[in-house]
Amino acid sequence: MIQLDHITRTYRLGDEVIHALNDVSFSVRPGEFVAIIGPSGSGKSTLANIIGGLDRPTSGTVIVDGNNLSKDRDTKLSEYRNHHVGFIFQSFNLQNDISALDNVMMPLLFSKIRRAERRKRAQECLRAVGLADRMKHKATELSGGQRQRVAIARALAVRPSIIIADEPTGNLDTARGQEIMTLLKNLNKKGMTLLVITHDLTVAKQASRVVQILDGRLQERKV
Amino acid sequence: MRFVDYIALAFRNLGRQKLRSFLTVLAIIIGATSVTIMLALVTSIKSFFLQEFNATGQIRQIAVTQATDLTYGQARYGGGGSRSGVKLTDEMLGGIKKLPHVANASPQVGLYMFDSVNYKDKKLSVSNFQAYEPNDVLSYDVIAGRNLTEQDQAGSVTLTAEYADKLGFKGQYQQLVGKQITLQTVPGYTGAGANLPPSPLAARVAEPPPLATNLSATVVGVVGSQTGQAAMYFPLAWARGLLQTQDWKVTNGKAALVATDNLAKTGYQTITVAADAAENANGVAQRIRDQFGVGASTAQDFIKKQLAIFNIIGYVLGGIGGISLAVAAVGVVNTMVMATMERTREIGVMRAVGAKRATISRLFTLEASLLGLLGGVLGIAIGYAMVTVANPLVNKQLAANGISAKDIVILPPWLVVGVIIVTTLIGMLAGLYPARRAAKLNPVEALRHE
Repeated sequence: MIQLDHITRTYRLGDEVIHALNDVSFSVRPGEFVAIIGPSGSGKSTLANIIGGLDRPTSGTVIVDGNNLSKDRDTKLSEYRNHHVGFIFQSFNLQNDISALDNVMMPLLFSKIRRAERRKRAQECLRAVGLADRMKHKATELSGGQRQRVAIARALAVRPSIIIADEPTGNLDTARGQEIMTLLKNLNKKGMTLLVITHDLTVAKQASRVVQILDGRLQERKV
Repeated sequence: MRFVDYIALAFRNLGRQKLRSFLTVLAIIIGATSVTIMLALVTSIKSFFLQEFNATGQIRQIAVTQATDLTYGQARYGGGGSRSGVKLTDEMLGGIKKLPHVANASPQVGLYMFDSVNYKDKKLSVSNFQAYEPNDVLSYDVIAGRNLTEQDQAGSVTLTAEYADKLGFKGQYQQLVGKQITLQTVPGYTGAGANLPPSPLAARVAEPPPLATNLSATVVGVVGSQTGQAAMYFPLAWARGLLQTQDWKVTNGKAALVATDNLAKTGYQTITVAADAAENANGVAQRIRDQFGVGASTAQDFIKKQLAIFNIIGYVLGGIGGISLAVAAVGVVNTMVMATMERTREIGVMRAVGAKRATISRLFTLEASLLGLLGGVLGIAIGYAMVTVANPLVNKQLAANGISAKDIVILPPWLVVGVIIVTTLIGMLAGLYPARRAAKLNPVEALRHE
């Protein structure tokens, strides 16, 4: 369960105060697939980052799976990210000089899991995204679609309850993008809450619910 | 994150920029090697110096002199100074030997009656003849043959390598042992074995010229010198005879030779006293001063002063090495700051998937520490190699100077451990700022970083 209560997030840009989020209240039930749309700079990434525990609101409360993210300190937020959230980025953000397997094992480093177990889990995740035969490849040796699948496997490694994908198809062609969306929808069907940030309406249409952010304010949208 | 994972990850990260890591480590290696070598040299000189003092027993010795204002060095090696004070007599020697904590004592006296030392066609002028009572107090490093013993009487001498060299035995000192040399006295010598002038009552044609005498002596040993000065050593038993003078005295119309024991008249030049332990030397010296009114100094002050000088040299040399380590530390800072910049996005990803600030900080600090550790270990290894190469060369030099000590350049364990700890700490300290920088990165901005 994700619960946001009167969230405001402001930035200072020189003398100017920018309201990335302005009094946003919003909740997501477990297992929902929510698309967050809006023009660039509208604050949709800020919303995702706050839900993912990467950023903290200036005011308001965020409670995810019983964790009060607006109050928690860095250590607790890090543990929250390490146990509840899988991030997927537009530009994949893989480490290019190590293997796909090492990339997927990386988040498990921070949960004090032994190497053998890390390897086993990472292999499972890579198989789940259909990359069983690409584990030893470096990121630079993979196509864009394959890279994003490695990134999904990395997100899955910590067995998250929430997947936050920020423009997951933004760097891919339509066909590859759709493959990624199918993969994400399947994860959603298995019970994971899925938040997809996009400005691509064909992606948004696949969600069970769409919210739009405009100038820091959130509104539900019919699709 | 588990400790082994930190280590593995840190190594992997350093391996990603092999050339840069290598160059950074190289700077530390240079610093560590120079510190190692310089401190090893100073330590070696110090321990060699102490060893020599220990081996010769000087560390527990007291130099007793007539003059009361001499340092140990002056008393021991400067010939004892003036003879204006209280005479150093046999009676005093006996009294000193009976003092508590005194193990033994050996009186010494310089000999001045010789003009030259001859062996075959070699003739060398010798200026330093020393006589001492051969017992366990004074024992010189034996290079060939042996030291003088209590059994040695007139006709036995030892000499230092320098004189042996001049007599033509350089590098083959064993050959000199047992050889007869001739000691030519100054004209007018009337001591033991002298060619005495004729009786004044005997018929004479003209005033006889002063006579020189050739005395022969057997070289029983070639020994090391404690001061680096060349010397020839005589048993005291012989010196007493050498120092005496014989004069004709005419009484009641009869001429008779009258011998004067000059040694008894002037007293000993110095008495070297051995305390039973080094820590009692100062007490014994004080006792001798109080009881006999003579000068008594120990090697301890001398050693202290010498060690202080070595320490200063050590600080200076270590400081020079330290400067190169400081430069290397700047290199580590530079490398790690570069790394945080290049890896900003990666840091963002790590933070996004659950790395804490502390985790990032530890990882970067560890990477910097590893650079220091590697530099230290390799620096020590090179230092060790240099010591291994240096020792045979130094041994050759020592042997050429008649010093029997060997393998004096040492790498003490504390230095090995110390250098490795210090370079690791330097790496760690140099890593603190970059690590803080990395840890403080805002993950959201780091992820957006190009």
